[in-house]
Amino acid sequence: MPRYFFNLRYGPHLDKLTVDPEGDELADDEAAREHALQIVRDLVAGPASFAVRDWFACSFEIEDENARRVLTVPFSDIVPEEDDDQTA
Amino acid sequence: MAHVQQSAVRNRLLKAMSADDFARLQPYLEPMDLASGQTLAEPNVRTEHLYFMEAGVTSITAEGANGRVEVGIIGREGVVGATPVLLGTDRAPYNHFVQMPGSALRIRADVVSAAVEESPSLRKLLLRYILTEMVQVRQTAFINATLEIEARLARWLLMCHDRTDGDELLLKHEFLSMMLGVRRSGVTLAMQQLEGAGRIRAKRGRVTVLNRELLEEMADGGYGTPEAEYARLIEGA
Repeated sequence: MPRYFFNLRYGPHLDKLTVDPEGDELADDEAAREHALQIVRDLVAGPASFAVRDWFACSFEIEDENARRVLTVPFSDIVPEEDDDQTA
Repeated sequence: MAHVQQSAVRNRLLKAMSADDFARLQPYLEPMDLASGQTLAEPNVRTEHLYFMEAGVTSITAEGANGRVEVGIIGREGVVGATPVLLGTDRAPYNHFVQMPGSALRIRADVVSAAVEESPSLRKLLLRYILTEMVQVRQTAFINATLEIEARLARWLLMCHDRTDGDELLLKHEFLSMMLGVRRSGVTLAMQQLEGAGRIRAKRGRVTVLNRELLEEMADGGYGTPEAEYARLIEGA
């Protein structure tokens, strides 16, 4: 299985990045996206960080083993879109 | 084989004991190495031995549907298996495994039970140690209710640093994630904040403590209470 690295974009001007040194093995890009969303839910529900005022401003910049960007997952993606509610 | 001498032990409880109490245990202390990942006590399994830690760190963990989380840490200040045996039972519902390799002096549980029946001073010392374990756990509950990831990480690194020689700790972020009950991304984020302020240096699986005072500041009151209680209760500070 390919290994994906979940780099975290954060900071007041989104100018900071934590590089994931270990990565996770996942089946494909879609699985990587699902994994990212699960991490986001746990981070948002978990303890605060000195470095992050607003988790929802953050995003995961997911890279493959060749440090190529595969996906960007904004933390706000865990919130259902309003349109979904209205059409439901 | 020659018996272990009290002057040569590194375990702080064995050092703090009266010479008479040490002599009671001395013939039964068996030196052994502790390998990384080795289990010293399993949940709800009869305790056959206690382990006076000489070097390395043992984690007490609780397991749930989302994996296991560390709920206690024992190094050379302590003894694994004391709680059930001193409090009149023979098992505990937690897992105890070696998180950082080292060594211990192993002793049979029935020997310790008999020794504390004969010696009130030995019983008192070991009960006081159990009290310090309780203070540590209560401190963890306080921290988990109030403090940021960075403060938790700082406290945890200080606790490991207290229990190791030198300034280098071998720790993967994945492992820290389990120990702190925080996603690995949160650990990496916190590590970067501690590193940015010059408190530590973190490289693949390796954390070097550069400035303890700054780390204590970052721990934001989370570190120090159990450590001071230990010094007061065990070492008469």
